[in-house]
Amino acid sequence: MLGSLGLKLVRLAAIMLMAGLIGATLIRIAPGFTADEQQLNSSLSAKSLQAIRQARLSDSDVPRYYLHYLGALLRGDLGVSESLNQPVRDLLRERLPVTLRSLAVALALAWLLGLSLAMAACLSSSRAFTFAGDTLSGTFISIPAAVLALVFVLLRWPPVLAAALLIFPKIYRYCYNLLQQSYDSPHILTARAKGAGPWRVLAWHVAPIAMPQLLALVGISISIAIGVLLPVEAVCDVPGIGQLAWQAAEARDLPLLVNLTLVVTFLTVCATNFSDLVRRSFTRGAA
Amino acid sequence: MKVLRIIAVAVLVVTGVAALGAHYLAPAGYEHQFRESPNAAPSAQHLLGTDDLGRDRFARLLYGARVSLLLAPLAAGISTLLAALVGGMAGYFGGWIERSSLVFVDLFLSIPWLFLLISVRAVLPLNISPQASVVVTFMLLGFLGWAASARVVCAGTRELMKSEHIWLARAMGFSGLKLVRLHLMPNLRGTLLAQFWISVPVFVITEANLGVLGLGVSEPLPSLGSLLRELQNVFTLRPEPWKFVPLVVLIVVVSCFQILLNRSEVRA
Repeated sequence: MLGSLGLKLVRLAAIMLMAGLIGATLIRIAPGFTADEQQLNSSLSAKSLQAIRQARLSDSDVPRYYLHYLGALLRGDLGVSESLNQPVRDLLRERLPVTLRSLAVALALAWLLGLSLAMAACLSSSRAFTFAGDTLSGTFISIPAAVLALVFVLLRWPPVLAAALLIFPKIYRYCYNLLQQSYDSPHILTARAKGAGPWRVLAWHVAPIAMPQLLALVGISISIAIGVLLPVEAVCDVPGIGQLAWQAAEARDLPLLVNLTLVVTFLTVCATNFSDLVRRSFTRGAA
Repeated sequence: MKVLRIIAVAVLVVTGVAALGAHYLAPAGYEHQFRESPNAAPSAQHLLGTDDLGRDRFARLLYGARVSLLLAPLAAGISTLLAALVGGMAGYFGGWIERSSLVFVDLFLSIPWLFLLISVRAVLPLNISPQASVVVTFMLLGFLGWAASARVVCAGTRELMKSEHIWLARAMGFSGLKLVRLHLMPNLRGTLLAQFWISVPVFVITEANLGVLGLGVSEPLPSLGSLLRELQNVFTLRPEPWKFVPLVVLIVVVSCFQILLNRSEVRA
C-alpha cells in the first residue's frame, strides 16, 4: 500500500516537472517570445530598453530558467508576475479559492443534471426521453464555451451555470452509455425477469457494476471542468485562475504561466489519482 | 435515428460543397470591402449584410467554413497519426516502453490543452500573416490533442497482440514492419478512423473558442471561430439576428458530426 502510494507520488512529481518544462518550452519556442511591447515605448531610455531585452534573453534559455525556477520553488518562492508586478504566490492565494469554488459548484450541478437525465433515460426506456437527453447534450456540446459565456454575461446569469451546462453533456453521455451497458448484462435481465422493480434493479444490480467507471469519470470530469472554466472565467470576468491564465497569456508572462501550468496539472493529476484510488478501494471492497 | 443520420450527412455534404465552391457562390472575396455600405442589413446583394468594414458576411461565412472544415480534419489527421505512433508503439512493444509511453500520455492528458494552446497562441507575434496563423492554430490543435486517442489505440493494439491470428502470424515468421503493415494496421483502421472523426468536431469547437477570445485565425482570413467575434458587439449593442448565422452554422455542423458518431465511440 505504502509502496504504491510512493510510486504514485513519484509519478505525480515526474508529471508535474515535465508539465512545467513542456509549458515553458512551448511558450519559449513560440516566435514572438523575445519581443516585448514595452520596447515600443518611446519614453524609455536606451538603457531601459537594453535592460528589457536582457531580461527577455535571460528567460529565453529554457533549461537554465527552469532549473532556476525549480530551485526557487524548493525555497517556497514562486517568483514575481512580470505583467501584474505582484508575487505569484499572492496571486494564487487570491485566485485559487475562486476557481475551486466555481469548479465544485459547476461539477456538482453538471453531475446532478447529467446523472439524473441518464438515469431517467435508462429507467424510463422511453425513446422520447433519450432523444430529449441527446438533443440537449448535443446542443451544449456544440456551443463554444466562450459563446455560451457571452450569452450568460448578457443575461446576467451566474457564469458557474454556463460552466455546468458545458460540462454536463460529457457526463450525461458517459453515464448513459455506462448505465445502458450495465442494463444489457444477462444478470440484470434475470433480475428483471424475476420481478425486481426498476429502482431495485438500479440500486442493487446496475449501480455496483457501473460505479467503478463512474468514479473514474469523476476524475476525468474535473479535468474537463478546468478546461471549460478557463474561457468562461476569461469572458465573464471572474477573478479566478482561468482569467489569470488569460491575462498572463496576453501579457506573455512566463513566470506566471509556468506556475499556472504546474497548479492546473497538480489539480488534474491529484483529482485523477484520487478518483482512481476510490475506484480501486470500491472494486476491492465489492470483491 | 437512421433518418437523422441521413439528414446529418446531407447537411455536411451541402456545407462542404458550399464551402469548397465559395469562389463561385460568394458575391465577392472574403476581404473585399463595400466601403459605401458598411454595417448594411441583409439585402439581395448581401444576403447576410456587411460587417463594420463593409465586407460581405455571406462570403466570409462561406470562406470561413472552408477554412474550418478543411483544416479541422487536417489537425485531426495529425493527432490521429501521433496517437497511432505513440499508442501503437506502446501496445506493440509492451513492458517498459508501454509504461513510459503511458506516463507521457498521462502528462499530456493532465495539462488542459486549451490552456497550453491559449498560452502558445498568445505568444505569437501580433503581425503574423493570416495564412501562418491558420496553419499554426490547427497544427497546435493536432500536436496537443492526441493523448486521449493514443490511450485507445494502445489498448486496441495490446488486445490485438494477444489475439490468435497475430500469434499465428508471428509463428509463421511475420515480425516488425510486415506484421504491423499486414496484420495490425488493417485491424486498427476502424479504431483510428473513429478517433479521427471524434477529433474533427472537437477541433472545430476549440478553434471557435480561440476565435472568440481573439486567438484564432488572424484577420482578414475568416474561420467559423473568428466570425463569432462579432457576437461580442451583438450582445452588448442591439440584437441583429443575421449576425448569429455563423453560430447557427457552427452548431449545426458540429451537431451533425455528433449525430454521425456512434454512441459506443464516446465511451469513458
